[in-house]
Amino acid sequence: MIFKLAWRNIITRPLSSGLSAVLLSSSIMVIVLSMLTMKQMKSKFNENANKIDLVVGAKGSRLQSVLCNVFHIDYPNGNIKLKEVDFLFKHPFVKSAIPISLGDSYKKHRIIGTNPNFITQIYNGSISKGNFFNKPLEVVIGANVAAKLKLDIGDSFSGSHGIEESTHDHEDFPYRVVGILSPTGEIIDQLIVTSLESVWQVHPHNDKKGSFDLKTAEEHDHHSHDHKSEVYENNKEVTAVLVNYNSPRAKFSIPGIVNQKNALIGAEPAIEIKQLLDLIEPAVNVIYVLSLFIFGLSLFSIVVTLLNSMKDRKYEISMMRVGGASVRLIFISIILEGFFIGLLGSISGLILGHSIMGIMARFLNLKYNYQFSGLVFDSLELVLLIVTILIGMTAAIFPALAAYRLDISKTLKNKT
Amino acid sequence: MIRTNNITVKYGEIEIKFPNINLDYGGQLLIIGKSGSGKTSLLNVLGGLLSAESGNILVNDIDLFSLSNKKRDKFRGQQIGFVFQTPHFIKSLSVNDNLKFSQYMSSKINQSKIDMLLKKVDLNHLKNASIQNLSEGEKQRISIIRALVNQPSIIFADEPTSALDDNSCNNVVDLLTNLSRENNTTLVIVTHDNRIKDKFPNQINLNDF
Repeated sequence: MIFKLAWRNIITRPLSSGLSAVLLSSSIMVIVLSMLTMKQMKSKFNENANKIDLVVGAKGSRLQSVLCNVFHIDYPNGNIKLKEVDFLFKHPFVKSAIPISLGDSYKKHRIIGTNPNFITQIYNGSISKGNFFNKPLEVVIGANVAAKLKLDIGDSFSGSHGIEESTHDHEDFPYRVVGILSPTGEIIDQLIVTSLESVWQVHPHNDKKGSFDLKTAEEHDHHSHDHKSEVYENNKEVTAVLVNYNSPRAKFSIPGIVNQKNALIGAEPAIEIKQLLDLIEPAVNVIYVLSLFIFGLSLFSIVVTLLNSMKDRKYEISMMRVGGASVRLIFISIILEGFFIGLLGSISGLILGHSIMGIMARFLNLKYNYQFSGLVFDSLELVLLIVTILIGMTAAIFPALAAYRLDISKTLKNKT
Repeated sequence: MIRTNNITVKYGEIEIKFPNINLDYGGQLLIIGKSGSGKTSLLNVLGGLLSAESGNILVNDIDLFSLSNKKRDKFRGQQIGFVFQTPHFIKSLSVNDNLKFSQYMSSKINQSKIDMLLKKVDLNHLKNASIQNLSEGEKQRISIIRALVNQPSIIFADEPTSALDDNSCNNVVDLLTNLSRENNTTLVIVTHDNRIKDKFPNQINLNDF
């Protein structure tokens, strides 16, 4: 009965109770949203960063090299000559060295020139339909690419130059789908993988920057008419080599060897990603502080709402006391109202947070090439739920004390 | 049963002295007096809502003010019913839930008793209505039922008819007296409403003190 009374008191004052619940809900939503985004981003970034020990690319920003060649979300620094990184393929400390060539895309999905080890060793990927590429211009597509672009075995398409939308399509070199990968929830789901030879064939020029070393589509479109050079077999280029060590000693020797070379830079994804996340963290903390501020506001709002409600209900409360309700019962009923506001605010905040995360996931999936989801949960959410309810109940203490101290005789005398 | 001896109540410097009351189980008493004569204060003291400055009060042979606050609240919930001039209810609850809540406070939930009383005052059709949609006359009748719903041994009514027209006034007084008689409940009414004077042979006039 006491629960029913508290609940009815909340829902018969929808505006004032609603405002408090909405404020609580908003702060919970912001916290949940930031928490889920960071959690998924951290886990995906770290997971993938740990798949590769060293990215060897063209001189430039280490972070850019990692973001481009591991996460496929930035532009390449440039190209490197295969003969310069030849030592990586023979080094005893190197377990695997997988060259990749970037530069083209199809409907915003990057086309990666590499070898099948890229799929099987780095992402543990497997073919769900068809088979791996054997000849130039054959491609294997990620599960999401197949689903989203409705591509199947035997379908053909022409890649666009650059990694954004380009006006320059390689119509003379259509790719043919020969395999579709099983879904992994990893970046590979969003990629189109082909052989290095395909990329070299599509880009048969070898100017200073390398044919497939295009930072933007526009840049390429300005230069695309200038296809004078030839590809020299002994001077082939790739965008990067993804290296995994087979000895802990490699960590102390290979990056040093790479960085000694003028044209190369070695970037360790784990370190770069940690630095990146360390940079993002303060911004996320600002969001947390802001949501704590809203939390404070909602606490204040609950106090004001319940105090006003107490003023409106002082005769009701007096009548309850006259009818035999103990001060304890009145106190508990008001604390329960705080409990319900806290419960409503936290549950709606959690639902909103997850729903918005679900909506945002669509955009984040495109931006980061990862499967973000609104259905990821964190144990901290349970803590958040409990804390919010406790805050609601704490905020109700002051109004409950006001009701506790109500002079029944005086109140009724003024009205009866 | 109510017995009082030399009760006084103090408001700042003013002390009000009340006449002694001797009322047996099932008895009916009308206390009349002008505004400010202390009628409501007397009723609040008898109901354990206000402490007396001096004197003794026995309600059903129990000294109300010797009880702890918790026990006094419980005693009031189980043994005493109140009817006021302006009937206040829990606005968020329906008629039935308001009556049920009264029973809940005295740990005596009995839906059939509520149904029976509602039928008796012809308000059974309003059982699930919101209390806020009732007329003043209906509210007063419901407040009488609320006072009786726990089968108390005493009912205190404070100006129960002052806000009502003649017809409603008669109905409310008849209802109070009849239901009290049927349930062998002691009834004490305080009022300045002269319309009901003739209905109670047992009266105390506070103007005489």
